[in-house]
Amino acid sequence: MKQFNFRAYAWSQFKKNRPAYLSLWMLGVLTVIAIMAPILANDQPLYAKYKGNTLFPAFSFQKNYELTLTDGSTESIQLDVAKWKQMEFETVIWAPVPYAPNKTDFLNSDFKAPSGEQYFRDPSGNMVEMPSRFRHRLGTNKKGEDVLAGLIHASRISLTIGILSMGVSTIIGLILGALAGYYGDHRLSTTRGQFWTVVFGSVLAYYYAFMIRADVLSDAIGTSGFAILLQLLLSIMLFTAIMGLFYLFGKGIGKLPLLNARTNIPLDSIVQRLIEILISIPRMILIISIAAVAKPSIINLMLIIGFTSWTGIARFTRAEFLKIRNLEYVQAGQSLGFSEPRIIFRHALPNGVAPAFVAIAFGIASAILVESGLSFLGVGVPPDVVTWGSLVNSGRENYSAWWLVVFPGLAIFLTVTIYNLLGEGLRDALDPRLKT
Amino acid sequence: MLKYVLKRILVFIPTLIAITLLGFVIMISAPGDPVERMVVAAQSGGEIGTQTANQMEQKRYWSRKLGLDLPIFYLSLNTLAQSDTLYRVYDRNEREALSRLTNQFGNWDAISAFYSSVDELNKTHSAVPIDSNMAMGASLDLVRSTINESYFESNALKATYDMVVVESKIAKLQQIYAAPFMKPFSEKLAAVKANLSTMKETATPWKMYVPVINFYPKNQYHRWIFGDGNWLTSEGSQFTNGVIRGDFGTSYTTKMPISEVISIKIFWSFFFTLVSVILSYIFSIPIGIQSAVHKGSRFDRFTGIILFILYSLPGFFAATLLLMNFANPDVFHWFPASGVEPVRGFSPDAGFVEKWSARLPYLVLPIIAYTYSSFTFLSRTMRVSMLEIVNQDYIRTARAKGLAERAVIYKHALRNALLPIITVFANIFPVAIGGSVIMEVIFTIPGMGSEIYNAIVNQNYPMVIAVLTITGVLTLVGYLVSDILYAVVDPRISYSK
Repeated sequence: MKQFNFRAYAWSQFKKNRPAYLSLWMLGVLTVIAIMAPILANDQPLYAKYKGNTLFPAFSFQKNYELTLTDGSTESIQLDVAKWKQMEFETVIWAPVPYAPNKTDFLNSDFKAPSGEQYFRDPSGNMVEMPSRFRHRLGTNKKGEDVLAGLIHASRISLTIGILSMGVSTIIGLILGALAGYYGDHRLSTTRGQFWTVVFGSVLAYYYAFMIRADVLSDAIGTSGFAILLQLLLSIMLFTAIMGLFYLFGKGIGKLPLLNARTNIPLDSIVQRLIEILISIPRMILIISIAAVAKPSIINLMLIIGFTSWTGIARFTRAEFLKIRNLEYVQAGQSLGFSEPRIIFRHALPNGVAPAFVAIAFGIASAILVESGLSFLGVGVPPDVVTWGSLVNSGRENYSAWWLVVFPGLAIFLTVTIYNLLGEGLRDALDPRLKT
Repeated sequence: MLKYVLKRILVFIPTLIAITLLGFVIMISAPGDPVERMVVAAQSGGEIGTQTANQMEQKRYWSRKLGLDLPIFYLSLNTLAQSDTLYRVYDRNEREALSRLTNQFGNWDAISAFYSSVDELNKTHSAVPIDSNMAMGASLDLVRSTINESYFESNALKATYDMVVVESKIAKLQQIYAAPFMKPFSEKLAAVKANLSTMKETATPWKMYVPVINFYPKNQYHRWIFGDGNWLTSEGSQFTNGVIRGDFGTSYTTKMPISEVISIKIFWSFFFTLVSVILSYIFSIPIGIQSAVHKGSRFDRFTGIILFILYSLPGFFAATLLLMNFANPDVFHWFPASGVEPVRGFSPDAGFVEKWSARLPYLVLPIIAYTYSSFTFLSRTMRVSMLEIVNQDYIRTARAKGLAERAVIYKHALRNALLPIITVFANIFPVAIGGSVIMEVIFTIPGMGSEIYNAIVNQNYPMVIAVLTITGVLTLVGYLVSDILYAVVDPRISYSK
């Protein structure tokens, strides 16, 4: 008899769900668009033959071209400010959308409609009607930036926000949920000596790893992202090292009389309280207040959303682990003398992760919604970054520029729908009892 | 039951404290110096770069009023080198510089001697009278500009901690004091230099590696929660009565007490929240019931798709679309685009009916936008909970004993499906205080949401933190109340184990 394979079964169930399966494909397309954004929308030609020189400006890392032309003279071209569309090429291949976000087209500033009149300066310097190759297909905003190019490039931000912030919250949620569910309130205990040694050690570890290095760390914030990462990593390594030392030390201390009494650690209650605190503050207000205090940057926003939205995943995982911890294979592992972390993370977690998938899919959808809402308000996002939300906001100053509202809004709507459909599909496939 | 309530209240307290701590941590990590802000707001204008004695006095006053002259928390982990009186320095930059100096040299006495000698030098600038006697023949303009320059440098010296910069600033000052009329200054500078070299010679950097734990009964957190008077009776309080008595401090922008701002602004947020909750129940209950009872019917599938689409539609997008189509002179100009009442206001004798009929057109679009976002969610939840119930045994029993379908659905099933309402109504206050930031900003409703938005734009952090804390606490209370109500209303739920 063929063995029952849950993964294959779930996958076949998922495939039967047409909308969900379709949205998986759509997600693929979106990802490709996001990855290929610089090739899809770029104001520099992908390939050009210019007076005897073969150029690939869109792919070039140089800032300047020093060209020797066919007639023997030399010309210097600065890639990002050159007026490529006014140059005479022998042959040229443009990106499908020959504009970049954040680059203004002065001739077409002040809300040019997709179907309205658009202007173009031809190589000889005359103002003419826009040739159809260079039309702003989805119009321009007040500054004259191409909306379609902005949409394509902003897809990168939306997708990475969704995936990275959920990545952070998945890690937190899975670990906390698994530990809370597996240990519950009564299963994790340690000796009194070790408990207090570790508590004492964590204070010291914090002191030596973060407090003493506070000046170094805050200096690093001013310099570069790499420096922050490096210093932070150093601090974390120091912290773990000291903690490890005290952990081992505590093991010895715990053997002494009086200190060898067992102390219970109510892990489940602690995690539950943490969740309660987070969900009791309206998410938008919590995120907005943290984002207002932190420096506006996309990375910070991802971290903030990530650190505030792990509760759902943790609850699902906890519930799953409450069931798993009583199953035979966990007991088998325990009786074989496997270490607890090994049982939790290698044996139980792969089996308990399925419900979290559903929460992750919905979580990504809501992370994208939160991000677009924040960038719509202009909170927490640097003002020069084009996002779908900020595009919708830029349409608010002129309601007759409907293209500024409709297209980015549809993009958000589409992406959110895709993730929501995926979530529903996953839920139906992974846990048929929940099917509604 | 009583035991359960008591137990709930017991776990409720640490969570409450944790929420206030969370708010407090966000507040103290806010960028910028609140004292600086208040002083700048109090007297805009004046010479840049000069700190008059009056301004210093104001700084001291605000730092006391905001409680910033206190240590941060009950317990503090610190280095042996760091002085525990550092927090009394009321200028944020100077405090930072001093803390860094301590980390470099580790001898607080010498550092504070250095600091006060720089302070002496600074004070000389306002103490020395500028007259022809003092100028020793130089022109008064020259004297003034020299003193200004000197003041600029010596003031900057207070907020400097990098030794290279300190040395170069001192060298610069020396150069300035070469002029004969700067004699009183150069004496002070000599003291500064002497103190600097003692500081370097007697450095004890090892002190930085010794941790010390201090306990402060009076601190910023304690003051924030309990006020600056007696913690229980608030007797003798001077500036604040504490969060526990509803005193959240003053708004940085309007200088009004925050609780007063909230009591003014909450009206519209509460109005929209309440109306939209009621409306969305009116719509979502029948829809949820119908689609659950006739599961799989055309109606169910149709509403399912519509609700799903609405659910994924971002609220701000829908609201903007509404405004774009129905408050736009180019399409349909049916409703005004912003505000909640006519800008010109009402005549003083306008009656209730007259007022609200004038407001009505302003309220239509916001109410639609508010309602729609909760309505989709509620309909879907309603359908799910109804589906669960119609498959229960007691519904089958009700049918089996021959009750009419209407009675089965509306009397037996609906009652139980409505239980989650309690949760929503318990949460209506925190939701109203938080306001819907995005909706209120879009429709320019003068409620809590736009107040928070403005607070964030203007970096009015006490307001933000007040809202964060109040919503958190009220939500917790809401959970508690709804849990207890559940137990009262639904006999199947038993909390006593």
